[in-house]
Amino acid sequence: MKKKVLALLLASAMVASMAACGNNDEPAGTSDAGSTTPATSTGSDSGAASTSTGSDAPAEPYNLTSLKVLVDGTVNSVKQETEAQNTVREVFIPQLEEAIGAAIGHEIDIEFEVGNHTKYSEDVGRRFVAEDYPDVMIMSANMMKQYSTTGLLWDMADAYANAEFQSRITLPAINENMKDSQGHLYGFAPTYGNGCITYVKQSWLDAVGIKGDDVKTYEDFYNMLLAFKNGDPDGNGVEGDTYGFISAGLIGGEAPYINYTAEFWQDSYPGILQGEDGKWYDGFQTDATKAALKRLQEAYAAGVIDPDSFTAGTKQAREKWWGAEQSGSAGAFSYWAGNWYKNLNENLEKNNLPSEVYQLAPIKEITDNVGGYLNRESPVWVILDDGDGDDSREQAIFDAFIETMLDGDTIQSLWTYGARDLEWSTKAESFTLNANDPEKKKDYNYEEGQFHYRPSVAEPETKLSSKNHLDPALVIAPLTNGFVVSNDLETVSNQFFTSHCVDAPSAPTSDTYSQSSGDLLSAVQECVAAVVVRGEDVDASMETYVNTVGSLVEEILAELNAE
Amino acid sequence: MSKKKVMTSTGVEVRHKPLGLRIWNNRGHYIMFLPVFIFVLVLSYWPMLGIRYAFMEYKAGTSPTWAGLVHFNRMFSTDAFWRAFKNTLILSTVKLFLTTFASVVVSIFLNEMGNLFAKKTLQTIIYLPHFMSWAVVASIFTLILSPSNTGMLNGMLRDMGILGAQDRNIYFLGTPSMWRTIFYIINIWKETGWGTIIFLATLSGISPELYEAADIDGATRFQKMRYVTLPALANTIITVLILNLAKVMNLFENVFVLYNAAVYDVSDVISTYIYRMTFTVARPDYGYSTAVGLFKSAVGCVLVLICNWASKKTRGRGIV
Repeated sequence: MKKKVLALLLASAMVASMAACGNNDEPAGTSDAGSTTPATSTGSDSGAASTSTGSDAPAEPYNLTSLKVLVDGTVNSVKQETEAQNTVREVFIPQLEEAIGAAIGHEIDIEFEVGNHTKYSEDVGRRFVAEDYPDVMIMSANMMKQYSTTGLLWDMADAYANAEFQSRITLPAINENMKDSQGHLYGFAPTYGNGCITYVKQSWLDAVGIKGDDVKTYEDFYNMLLAFKNGDPDGNGVEGDTYGFISAGLIGGEAPYINYTAEFWQDSYPGILQGEDGKWYDGFQTDATKAALKRLQEAYAAGVIDPDSFTAGTKQAREKWWGAEQSGSAGAFSYWAGNWYKNLNENLEKNNLPSEVYQLAPIKEITDNVGGYLNRESPVWVILDDGDGDDSREQAIFDAFIETMLDGDTIQSLWTYGARDLEWSTKAESFTLNANDPEKKKDYNYEEGQFHYRPSVAEPETKLSSKNHLDPALVIAPLTNGFVVSNDLETVSNQFFTSHCVDAPSAPTSDTYSQSSGDLLSAVQECVAAVVVRGEDVDASMETYVNTVGSLVEEILAELNAE
Repeated sequence: MSKKKVMTSTGVEVRHKPLGLRIWNNRGHYIMFLPVFIFVLVLSYWPMLGIRYAFMEYKAGTSPTWAGLVHFNRMFSTDAFWRAFKNTLILSTVKLFLTTFASVVVSIFLNEMGNLFAKKTLQTIIYLPHFMSWAVVASIFTLILSPSNTGMLNGMLRDMGILGAQDRNIYFLGTPSMWRTIFYIINIWKETGWGTIIFLATLSGISPELYEAADIDGATRFQKMRYVTLPALANTIITVLILNLAKVMNLFENVFVLYNAAVYDVSDVISTYIYRMTFTVARPDYGYSTAVGLFKSAVGCVLVLICNWASKKTRGRGIV
């Protein structure tokens, strides 16, 4: 027995001593941004400016020779998952380095790391904890807000105000709205945020005798879904084996939570919101949300919503919608505007289905109460502040990377369309897609100087390449070199969205919210599940929500409203 | 205080040489042991330094700051945590007993099979699910149990007339009263085959003389199973149960791939709770996650000690 006690004590002592040895952090309250800030690329940089902040002498220009960039899956030309992607990456990055090098007057080495797209915030958190900081990176607007209080992000307000592209910005509000109440700008959004449109299979509309243009109200919308549900829109001779609507979740896991089911949520928003009076409140605890839950409950019970929608991920929902087997599929599907409109068309066509897709304008209840489809807060590029009190390095990163991104010409073209002469070109050429399929065969002929997409590297026989990172229809400062794809489905969809959208509510920034948003989201999802999936009473479920996280919500609101 | 004498069984006093000399004399063994020692130190003990974050506020992008017991206060005052704790114990324990029982039954049946080819074929078939990842298993069962028109089981129920034209499809994985049963069935399907290996090994070690004696006594096949096979297996069953009981807190992947918000009440376990609280927020506090993880480890440690005690009682030797 003595041995066991001794062993236990020794083990405890060992753990405690190891913990003590390892705990070399600064005492609480003494840490500053400097202790947590990025490991910069200074190792490979030269000519670093003085770090003295007391000197009045103008800082020497920082000679930025290398750059570490972290991106999510939205920079298509640097992805590395497939051989085709690697081929594009190997061409794109040198072209970008060369173009930026030419713009800043010296060579620059850019290292791109691609984080896990679906778990990007988790990926970023892990990197930051391991003090693996890039120089510049993409963040969602919500992430940027949560990190803006850490001292980790560089305030680029002045750099943005003095940027060359200012004179060409057509959508100044995007970045102005990104600024906090003190006017700091911690992230730069080169484009609109984008959002979802409700897409309807035209062939199904034709089959049930409904015109898309006539779907103007929720009643029209619901009747259309009922017709898809009860009729035989897929023409397989069986009535009632189809659904009206499918979505990737009845409520999303990130803001703006309702964009996959906008027609049902309408004027409700299940998140923490700021009212017109400036006061923050819980959008979930409102009558509008109760009404939305009832609409979802009714539609789910009537079978117009595919029940798989509750747990479906985006991939499952997409593939079910465009799948070759249309029995069990749905007629309407809310998904991202732009590139995805093109993808939806192409995949229907690939499965030998009628490929025409109708873009449904927001129904009256949405336009009257909200204004349109929600344009999510734009993802932003942030620069990591090294905390040395000298902004010359950060300014150099802004000049080299962000300012050139919207140069209107060479570099912006690379960011927009990808690798030159591989994904797009201005050289004279001719090619044919789907050469072996007489129905889909299409010839492309271009003259010298004419901008055009080239065949996709991944599927050169059947598809054209698509955009890289910047969406030409969403960018805040358009290209000036005339490189535009006219009548492209992507552009058509982006134009449709931008003419029918309003900005989504801003995400709140508070310590408690940042820490407890997982609790809130779980409670919201459980309430939605109880009402919609299990058919429970809305008021009773709302009461459960309040009992579960009501005090937490009050704490968050008190914190936000005290600011 | 005099040093206690160490005696051999024959009463001869053992006199130890100095430690340094003993190490030198056995240096070959110590050198062989060194890589293992370093491995354990680096991979098992070094990560334990992270325990301190349970007492700190630790968010990505800022230095950890001392927070005392704040995370534990939050944890113990959160209903969702206690719900997850309860679910962990229920799901793990019931799963353990059911899969062990199923493994024993299948082992006995396999042991009773005379046709060797059929036995080997069946063994291979029931081992296979073990080698499938939980993600694949979940995809298969999600399709089979889908509440939509494409769901196989709902289609069968409708074809058989159990579900009428006006009835809604059953949402098997979204109904709290059904979820646990389905979870157990899937776990039994996946792990029973693998679980039979240890029991079949024990069964092959039972002396044939016992069965011959039973034959002479006129025992039926069932009686031989009841009075020879099962008693011979009893010690192994208890050993398997005890060894696995220590791992009941380690439940994540199989729950994570099958659960959803509609069934959190009966399915959310500590590991999935930690996952949601950490990875669904834009800037998580790893201190809280560590605190919950530390509590889970502490409970696991207590269970190991209990199992060690139980093992000593039943087998005469401990597991640690």
